[in-house]
Amino acid sequence: MPDQLHFRLKLRRGPTFRLDAEETVPLDGVTAISGPSGSGKTTLLRALAGLDIRAGGDRLVTFAGQEWDRSPQHMPTEERRIGFVFQDPSLFSHLTVGGNLNYGAKRRGVTSMDAIVEALDLGPLLDRAVHGLSGGEVRRVALGRALSANPAVLFLDEPMAGLDAARKAEFLPYIARAVSQARVPALYVSHATDEIVALADRVLEISGGHITGWRTPPMRLSARVLAEVSGGVEVRVDSPDGTDVDAVLQIPLRAMPGEAVGLGLPPESVLLSPDHPGNGSALAVLPARVIRPSGATERPMLEVLGQTVTLPGRFRVPAGDRLWMSILRVLPRPEPTDSEL
Amino acid sequence: MTAWAAISLSLQLAVVTTVILLALAVPLAWWLANTRTRLRPLIEAAVTMPLVLPPTVLGFYLLILMSPNSWFGGIWVRVTGDTLAFSFTGLVIASLIYSLPFAVQPLQTGFASVPKGALEAARTLGATSRDAFVSIAIPLARRGFLTAGVLTFAHTIGEFGVVLMVGGNIPGKTRVISIEIFSAVETLDYATAHLLSAGLLVFSFAILTTVFLINRSGGMRVA
Repeated sequence: MPDQLHFRLKLRRGPTFRLDAEETVPLDGVTAISGPSGSGKTTLLRALAGLDIRAGGDRLVTFAGQEWDRSPQHMPTEERRIGFVFQDPSLFSHLTVGGNLNYGAKRRGVTSMDAIVEALDLGPLLDRAVHGLSGGEVRRVALGRALSANPAVLFLDEPMAGLDAARKAEFLPYIARAVSQARVPALYVSHATDEIVALADRVLEISGGHITGWRTPPMRLSARVLAEVSGGVEVRVDSPDGTDVDAVLQIPLRAMPGEAVGLGLPPESVLLSPDHPGNGSALAVLPARVIRPSGATERPMLEVLGQTVTLPGRFRVPAGDRLWMSILRVLPRPEPTDSEL
Repeated sequence: MTAWAAISLSLQLAVVTTVILLALAVPLAWWLANTRTRLRPLIEAAVTMPLVLPPTVLGFYLLILMSPNSWFGGIWVRVTGDTLAFSFTGLVIASLIYSLPFAVQPLQTGFASVPKGALEAARTLGATSRDAFVSIAIPLARRGFLTAGVLTFAHTIGEFGVVLMVGGNIPGKTRVISIEIFSAVETLDYATAHLLSAGLLVFSFAILTTVFLINRSGGMRVA
């Protein structure tokens, strides 16, 4: 069982907002914290980081058995070993890119940042001044800076806010790769569905300052890279039972043959049909077996090529044995592979 | 030649004042830039007062404060055995108060321009708040430091009224450049007056040009 982050927070912000939240989060993979604007996502993340201690409140936070807060005792932010990527990247404008990366590394005794520089393509930027960087580059540096201090956990507060769709699509795989490579658990605040589908292993929902529960985790199939093709890679969906179904698809991702890739399935890009619909514009049409049809309480569940997929409640899955799943779009996420261990 | 004594005295006064005042103004400016207390307008007004008060008013009250009969001057005499009025130390204290806004305001502006996010990022990267202040706030507010230092120095060199009230006109002790010019004119020594006046004119122009150059360019970059 992975370590856990437990928190119980009661805080006031401004005249009306109250955060009253308690939950236990597994420190494993990416946990998305999702909710409408003003629901307290950022307040929660900042409170966990100990950034507004002076604003008071009743706090109890335990991180992997280590007590961070037990009001009125608080561990200062700098001792919590959090890599924090802020909504506003807040790069140090008096330092070069390399200086920004070194800042945390120096203070936490990290000697080599080569892996991070490599994963985020920061090599050519190291000697550049911060103010000449593009929006996407700034985000990459901010992420690299947070990771370079060798954090025990990564906090990302809408790290793609303000980027246009093209820049987001470009930056998303970087986050996925960096998080999987650094093998650091992450809390990811966002209300953007695509980011959550692409990155999250589980989704905690917050509304009006209260935790409202865990949402169905994003649908994801695991796959493996077969070969590089122009504009991306060809991947095959893993199928333990070795069916001869055509489960090969092309995705725009930079990866090496043999690498493991998670294929996030946006709900609106998945169609279920009782008969084979023909390939049409789908990336892939995969056979599925109904494990659990739509019911009153539990989410419907399918088995796709030997992998189990839990569907969001809005899918109506009839009782029956066989279905076809057409996939129109995937959001890939590089996964840690054994070779990186 | 007394002109040289005056120049040397002015420079000494300006250096001592600038060093002490920066040390005092940094915490005050940092506090003003970050505090949310409702007293802030009152304190800002108090700090800015020397800018609008006639130097004679300031000098008058300082003179009274420094007199051995006042509580402050009395304590000073008991502790140091010296009177403050008409001494170099008295001049330094008067200059500290007179030049206070010239040090505090640029620093406060500089500190206010330091993004809160950068300081928080530094904390998450393992920096204590003191470390973050030194490694992030000071470099980011460097223009404020340069402007404060230059203006304090120049303003101290140029003061007249307060110095005359508090220090009088004692050669080598309290007779700074501006007072030397005044004495020279009174004694019809226009050559000295011309020399010193032109010197101050050029000096002031050079200083202000420097300040504006600093504020226009991005300042220096540290690797």
